[in-house]
Amino acid sequence: MADRRISLDRAGYGLLSRTLAECGRDEATGELRVSGRPGGAFHLRGGLVVAVESPGAPGPEALLLRSGRISGEQWDGLLDEPGAGRWPEAGLIAHGYAGAAQLRVMRMQALQDAVFAVVAGHVEGVRPLTEPSGSGPLAPVAVGESPLRLLQEATRKLTALAALPCPVLPDRERPLPAPGAAPDDPRLPSARRDVLTHANGRRTARDLAFITGRGVYPVTVEIARMLAEGLLRCADPPPTVLPVPVHIPATGALVPLRREEPVRLGELVRIGEPSVPPHPVPQKAQDPQGPQGPQGPQDSPNSRTSQSPQEPTGRPDPVRAPGPPKRAARQGKPDAPPVQSPPPPGQPPRQLPRRRPGASGITESLADAHREASWKGFFRLRHRIWTPDSGT
Amino acid sequence: MDHEALAMEMRGLREQVTGITDTAVAAADGLLIAADTAEDIDPEGLAAIAAAGLGLARRTAEATGRGALRRTVAHGSHGCAAVYAVGESALMVVLSDEGVDLDRLHEETRPALTRIGSILSAPETVPAVSAVAGAGSEAV
Repeated sequence: MADRRISLDRAGYGLLSRTLAECGRDEATGELRVSGRPGGAFHLRGGLVVAVESPGAPGPEALLLRSGRISGEQWDGLLDEPGAGRWPEAGLIAHGYAGAAQLRVMRMQALQDAVFAVVAGHVEGVRPLTEPSGSGPLAPVAVGESPLRLLQEATRKLTALAALPCPVLPDRERPLPAPGAAPDDPRLPSARRDVLTHANGRRTARDLAFITGRGVYPVTVEIARMLAEGLLRCADPPPTVLPVPVHIPATGALVPLRREEPVRLGELVRIGEPSVPPHPVPQKAQDPQGPQGPQGPQDSPNSRTSQSPQEPTGRPDPVRAPGPPKRAARQGKPDAPPVQSPPPPGQPPRQLPRRRPGASGITESLADAHREASWKGFFRLRHRIWTPDSGT
Repeated sequence: MDHEALAMEMRGLREQVTGITDTAVAAADGLLIAADTAEDIDPEGLAAIAAAGLGLARRTAEATGRGALRRTVAHGSHGCAAVYAVGESALMVVLSDEGVDLDRLHEETRPALTRIGSILSAPETVPAVSAVAGAGSEAV
């Protein structure tokens, strides 16, 4: 717990403030790239900062889209309008999605938030001032801000954060909901419910700020307070056993492993599974569905090239070949379990074709008509990825 | 193959580069090897899609004379999904949100890919560990 304290990266901050002060004195115009974690880019005009972009803080676009203030379709529609550019401010106002003053405030908040993210992180170096790369900053503020005032504001925020009972850094802690803290508790304000919904032990305050479409400083403060109030907890110490499921028991040769049952993510390390030596006995044990195995896990390591089109490229028919007696027996029973939903007779069952070698499209059968099953899987996956995010 | 080293690499990459949210390593034919993904992502489906996408991109580059394929990146309004080849026989998927610095992502991923490639192709050193059951039950 000793390293939970927050301290300013003094060397990096000194470098940054010296360079920015110099730019301010020279009334410089250009882009100042800060390397480090998260790092960022300061855009200056006449010695004043007009925009700051950092991977550590959501920019104006992310704030608009992720907060649900404007939908992705609406945003795309605005970008399609003539003269919209990358930041369709006129369109946003004309369609009534946001007010002009609101957008001005938001741009300034995003700027200050990005400075806070840079200062709260680790500054490794500051590259000399360059001409703005690409098309310049996305959404510059109309009247720039003095760089030193911005830095002072950021350090003030960091000091305030450090003074909280449970200080949190935007990119360090990965909180979990505490036992008993329900994300749908109506007594909690919506910002807290959002944090509880999305905190899963993998996401930092910065990640949660992106997901909820709020500034990284307010989210960090909120998390620090929720930790202090016992609504969140930090896995401490961080787990030494990594919750990364490793699925292949292969040796150096990346032999494709047949696996019929879906593997749950929660399982930790599937090392217990026997290796796949180049003889069929343990393979039979792994794969009771297709013991004949016309498919070739016994292939050479670079099975991608050796998988010629005459091999069963994801078509279930040859694999299913040993199946019919068993299936017929099961269908004979009137009360067959509906979970498996046996296909109509005469049609081969489609069982996870996307998991078969060759369903990847790397073999020579991309245009195969039986491929649409993989596309189904694609839409299902997209749906799963997007639902929690687009709901916020 | 050293599972722990692979898991460390993947997790290290996610924690090291601001904006990376999930990673997965799969064989070139789309079978999942390891996944460090959130619960709302089906890692096996992701592996299959990534392999298909990488194969398609490779052939596109080939058919259009674009040279060797470096990576494929799908950009969405909430982030991007990058797929890199790991040697000839595997690939890695890196998912990130919209804040990620793509140049930094590619820069930091490159050495990780080399290390993961050597982990995957290393001969078996770890015997089949028996202490798996206890660890598995501890996971969320």
